Amino acid sequence: MAALSRSDAQRRVDDIRIFRDELSRVEAEGVLRLEGAQRAALDRHHDTLLADLKAAFDVDRDSTAKQLSLGMRVASFIGALALAASVFFLFYNFWGYLPTPAQVAIVIGVALGSLLATVAIGRHDATGYFTKLAAMVTFACFVLDLSMLGQIFNITPSDKALLPWAALAFLLAYAYELRLLQVAGILCLCAFIAARVGTWSGMYWIYFGERPEDFFPAALLILLVPCAFDQSRFAGFAATYRICGMLALFLPMLVLANWGSTSYLDLDRNLVQGLYQTLGFVGTAGFIWLGTRRDWKDVSNTGVALFVIFLYTKLFDWWWDWMPKYVFFLLMALAAVLLLVVFKRLRGALA
Amino acid sequence: MIRARHHATLAGLALIVLTNAVALAGAAFNRSGEPQGTLRLTERELSVPYVWRSKKEDSGLTLQLHWRSLPSERHDSIGYGNVYDEAGSQPEWLDARKMVALGFAAQAPSDVHPVNGTSRYLQQLPREAFIVLELDGPAYQESMRRAEQEAAALEASIKARGPGSPRALERSSPPSELRSRLFAVDAGLDRDALRSKYPDRTKYAIVRGRIRPTTGDHASDAGGAIDSLSAGDINVPLPLRPVFDGLSSRRYGDPGKPAARFDATVVFGQRSEPWLASAARR
Repeated sequence: MAALSRSDAQRRVDDIRIFRDELSRVEAEGVLRLEGAQRAALDRHHDTLLADLKAAFDVDRDSTAKQLSLGMRVASFIGALALAASVFFLFYNFWGYLPTPAQVAIVIGVALGSLLATVAIGRHDATGYFTKLAAMVTFACFVLDLSMLGQIFNITPSDKALLPWAALAFLLAYAYELRLLQVAGILCLCAFIAARVGTWSGMYWIYFGERPEDFFPAALLILLVPCAFDQSRFAGFAATYRICGMLALFLPMLVLANWGSTSYLDLDRNLVQGLYQTLGFVGTAGFIWLGTRRDWKDVSNTGVALFVIFLYTKLFDWWWDWMPKYVFFLLMALAAVLLLVVFKRLRGALA
Repeated sequence: MIRARHHATLAGLALIVLTNAVALAGAAFNRSGEPQGTLRLTERELSVPYVWRSKKEDSGLTLQLHWRSLPSERHDSIGYGNVYDEAGSQPEWLDARKMVALGFAAQAPSDVHPVNGTSRYLQQLPREAFIVLELDGPAYQESMRRAEQEAAALEASIKARGPGSPRALERSSPPSELRSRLFAVDAGLDRDALRSKYPDRTKYAIVRGRIRPTTGDHASDAGGAIDSLSAGDINVPLPLRPVFDGLSSRRYGDPGKPAARFDATVVFGQRSEPWLASAARR
């Protein structure tokens, strides 16, 4: 079996289903008719393959199963967050009644134990839902571990804690194909790089959010990861990097486009805002083009969403106060129609 | 995939162990050697948090370190120093020259941006510095002198206008026996230089803190204020918990009762991180 992961297996199952549907259609239209032996061999091969994939990866064999799986994914996401919060509050409930060595032993032991539990669950959980839950708890336990050590020993808060958190999140994300932890890792890494960049200007690291430009190097780095390192073995990972990178690039730009005084640039506030508005429009349009060219739906969709946000915040800024509301909303609708026309033409041109 | 997971598990275990080892080694280093200060404090400087009884879900106890700073007499609008807040006002010593020494850009004559109308000086973000805390020293004596001066002025005002006068109400403040004797008296980037200037480790502790630029009404008022200290909260270990059991915060109330209900020794270690070494009820 060539399938490497659950996502690969699911893709193969989907391909088989589509192939069978189309084969039935062309047979009904009389375009193609397989001989009995050929048809039987093909069906047998596919049935065996589907059974093997189902046994190994618990894949969804039809659309109903797929819908149920989506529900399970949502449930496991909520469960993971709730369980992580539960661990936090459980420890807070009892830690004050424990001597310091016991506090330290428990926070370290729980972090190590939850990692081993994740490994054990991962061996028996073909669906991956329970593993995701356990991995999230492991990450939460590690965050709790370092936070509690900081509180117990009154350690000065440091941005360096973000690095091991990011490292563990990435380790778990790649080992178990968990995009939720990939996002956690990206967020930690992004915050660390932004904090480091911020300290170059001399400020204390915790204020890195005050200067949105601090996020730009982190955003570029995150965008470059899927170009530099092949992510094809991990379904959806490249798209997650691209989406997170775009958000890390354009959300700070959106802030600067509206509050120019938060910029490092010692220029007229309106000029800074105009500069970042232009960069926002040009940049998002560029990503839409790139996404369409490379067939990166994630990039083009995120680009469109960000472009619309840039456009509507600007329209609101310009017209909300002095324009009757019915005219304002009419113009918004016209802008939406204009965008539809532009995207339709773009799609036609690139088709 | 199984092999990759095996490697990831080993790497994860190593990461958790190594990170904890680094954190614990840092804590051990902080508590080794000669500390940066050993201060004998009372409830005036350390308070049980106001909300800790209502924080039913958190069984831990953290004491808050209370410190003050002495503004120049000209800006001391409340009188006797910064009474209520640890942060906020501009200490007299944290002037423009000191701010430059701490790494801030000086306030230029053309400080206000010609178009934006904002102060370039004030737009600088807080920086970290070492801050000297003085216990029961000249700064505290000066605050007492100002307090007495203010009390005399208040008494005269009440006599002149009557006890219910707005001025009398406006000037009411916490009783002096509740006010902290711990004052921020200096700051710098070189801890050793500060230590040689303030060698008495039982009176002066050097801690880390954040400083931000401030300005007054005039250009000459440019200076800074202490935003916060890293050593603002101090965890109470289990053996010392009985000392604080049953105590509720009464920092701004209960006049007439003895202010300090406990004594505590706080040690500031090699990394300027504090810990509660001992505590006893009075």
